[in-house]
Amino acid sequence: MRRFSLALVLGLLASTAAHADVTVYSAGPGGLIKSLAAGFTAKTGIKANVFQATTGKVMARLEAEASNPVADVVISASWGTATDFAAKGLLLSYESPNAATVPDFLKTEGAVAQGVAGIIIAWNTKSDTPMPTDWSDLTKPEYKDLVTLPDPAASGGTYTLVEAFYANGMTDILQGLKDNGAIVAGANKAALNPVLQGAKAAVFAGVDYITMGAAAKGETIEAIFPASGTVVAPRPIMILKSSQNQEDAKKFVDYVLSEEGQKEVAKVYLMPSRTDIVVDRPLIGDLKLLSKEGAPSRDEVLAGFKKIFN
Amino acid sequence: MAGGSVATGAEGSSFLKWTATLGLLIVVAVPCLFIVVQAIFPEFGSGSFAAPFSLFFKTLADPDLFGLAGNTLILGVGTVVCAAILAVPIAALRALFRVPGALIWDALLLVPFMIPPYIAALGWIMTLQPRGYLEQVAGFNLAPLLFSVYGIMLIMGLNTFSVVYFVLSRTFETIGARYSDVGRVFGAGQWKSFWRITFPLAMPGLAASLLLVFAMSIEEYGTPAALGRRIGFEVLVTGIENRISEWPIDLPGAATLSLVLVSMALAAFTLQRWLLTRRDYRIVSGKPQASDKRRLGVWALPVVALFAFLSFLATGLPILAILATALTRTISGGLTPSNFGLDNFRELLGSGSDGLVALGNSLALGVTTALLAGLLGAITAYSVVKGRGRFRIVLDALSITPNSLPGVVVAVGIILAWNQPWLPVTPYNTPFILLLAYICILLPQPVRYATASLHQLGDNLEAAARVSGSGPLRAFVRIVLPLILPSMVTAMILVFAVASRELVASLLVAPIGFQTIAVYIWQQFDQGSAGLGMAMAFCALVITTLIPLVLVSLMRWISKGTVAGLN
Repeated sequence: MRRFSLALVLGLLASTAAHADVTVYSAGPGGLIKSLAAGFTAKTGIKANVFQATTGKVMARLEAEASNPVADVVISASWGTATDFAAKGLLLSYESPNAATVPDFLKTEGAVAQGVAGIIIAWNTKSDTPMPTDWSDLTKPEYKDLVTLPDPAASGGTYTLVEAFYANGMTDILQGLKDNGAIVAGANKAALNPVLQGAKAAVFAGVDYITMGAAAKGETIEAIFPASGTVVAPRPIMILKSSQNQEDAKKFVDYVLSEEGQKEVAKVYLMPSRTDIVVDRPLIGDLKLLSKEGAPSRDEVLAGFKKIFN
Repeated sequence: MAGGSVATGAEGSSFLKWTATLGLLIVVAVPCLFIVVQAIFPEFGSGSFAAPFSLFFKTLADPDLFGLAGNTLILGVGTVVCAAILAVPIAALRALFRVPGALIWDALLLVPFMIPPYIAALGWIMTLQPRGYLEQVAGFNLAPLLFSVYGIMLIMGLNTFSVVYFVLSRTFETIGARYSDVGRVFGAGQWKSFWRITFPLAMPGLAASLLLVFAMSIEEYGTPAALGRRIGFEVLVTGIENRISEWPIDLPGAATLSLVLVSMALAAFTLQRWLLTRRDYRIVSGKPQASDKRRLGVWALPVVALFAFLSFLATGLPILAILATALTRTISGGLTPSNFGLDNFRELLGSGSDGLVALGNSLALGVTTALLAGLLGAITAYSVVKGRGRFRIVLDALSITPNSLPGVVVAVGIILAWNQPWLPVTPYNTPFILLLAYICILLPQPVRYATASLHQLGDNLEAAARVSGSGPLRAFVRIVLPLILPSMVTAMILVFAVASRELVASLLVAPIGFQTIAVYIWQQFDQGSAGLGMAMAFCALVITTLIPLVLVSLMRWISKGTVAGLN
């Protein structure tokens, strides 16, 4: 009980002190935001309070708090949230001096990419299947009943890829996957787990940094960038207009985009959004990107996907 | 009641009535109200009352809704059937016969409460899927069974049947062999007297616990999300969770679907009330009763085998799967000797680990929630069962409502309610908010348990106390509370177990930077450290199982058998 009352008192203190601190709501990975917050405090002396969850949970909390916003800075894993927030007029427009080398397609008036994830095939090297090199390989009989996909409704990355398939007339690959017994398995982690254990051989539309992180831990899994091209999922960092502490919030964005911050981003195998940070992994410039030009609306893409897989 | 007119001497004190009412208003009614308002006014989150009902009817008219509601009903009923089939026989055996090792089986069957459903589901998947642990050990897999609607029902039945087992074995025990002995004196056989006398008298316990299982299973998120999504079996809760957890967020839609879910639980609750009020089930009359249990004789071995088999399925297998994941360095390495190691436990228990802080937070919250929810639950049940007037139906309904509200919806309601800018002081963003959320979500458990045990309590004991000069409050504390204590201890252990591992609400309302066990586990999974997450799950499991066991043994030792039913 004493410990609990201590926790309560500390909690109360923290909540009153929160006005002077920067409050950051961040989508995963948790390790990244933790080291970014620690590095920021070490550098500036300003404390950063972190709430970390999935993009969906972060958005739900922001929406429920809308009448009395708590967050200063939001980091999401889906660029669509930035465009949506900008359209609603929720974002403070700020161009960080550190964003000079961030390519134009990774920044808007109110948001800039913190890092970028690539969408790949995650393949278990011990699965007794040939190594796939392109999306269409996974529709072949060798991979019958051995492929999982994250649900595009739950995974921003998968959604972006499916959208690009619609824009480029590649939907026959999706149909081929369905005919080959591929299953739709929840969010990114739910799709990866059966592949790690070997129940399935490959994730179609896996996330590169998660896969590379697992491989670094010793899992027999490999991230393969498909030959016909892929899409990237930039992760926007944005300052809310409602923030009571905009100056410190700007400092936080500056820190994330600093060389030090971008190196932290790279440590979890995300691509840094600044092009002048050298990292040992395929970067945005090295990737062949599929265009999203002419893609139908979100509802149509999801409905089309559902039609194929139900 | 303030007039103090005493009819049977057992209609409760107005102090207790108002405590129950106020407690329920703050803990349950406020968040529920905000959810209803959110369902009606879609822009309410940003403080606007614009466009009322614009999304309400759209969501209700969604053709998917019938599928979701239908699947929810199928799953709820299927789980209740599975739980009843698994629990009723062993509960009867445990209560009426001397089962060898009874305390060990009790302890083992307590463990499923402590295993978070999402962890259990993950354990089952990793065991039964192709190339899973079962295939690695025994050479075959049961994936077709696991990834089916029956598989989900079976696993949820295994997760919940101990609720029925504990309530029912207590009830059978209270009834004892005495009533059925009367039947046997009049010539009924052993089976006949069980089915005609003992079993009908156990109806309150059975109805209460099966209703609890129904409500738990239509509210359960982890298992249907992990298993159902793969076979396209969506239920209301996963529909609600998807609307809240997947961008773009649809709070009004989630709130509307929650209202559908609540109405389903209320229907079940009405059914249970109807069952209970049709007859008189009072069996504790103050007459002393000898609790003599029969011997099993030649049946001892098969009965022990049955207990062992069920304990293994419900407790052993999930724990083995958790341990297998926690003790292996990589998942793809499988169960090979070179892949085993204590790395995950070392990282978890190492100095400066977030895991230890999370453990401390969750245990403190769990204990506080159990005490407060237990007390409020007992007072509420007492006001409902022994009180008079229409307010008690409102109280009863309020106390069951959260059972059918998914945790994530309670969380949203709580944020909407307690983060209003005009509040001078708010528990929001302090650990108190988690306490409020947990009490709200878990209050139905102690209320159900206390109600069932109060229904069996005759009025004359309390009347005797009143005749002897004690006031209503004193009669409650000295007579009623001790008599329902065994049931309350069971309920509070359940509350402690669930509160210390609650995930969905914690994830959303946890104060900034505050970690609980479940949030920690979830973050490990999210970062791809399944082994570390499972190591935490295992430690939490051991601690949350040991604390109640030690507590109960301590209470038995202190009371030295003077409090009935603690064995």
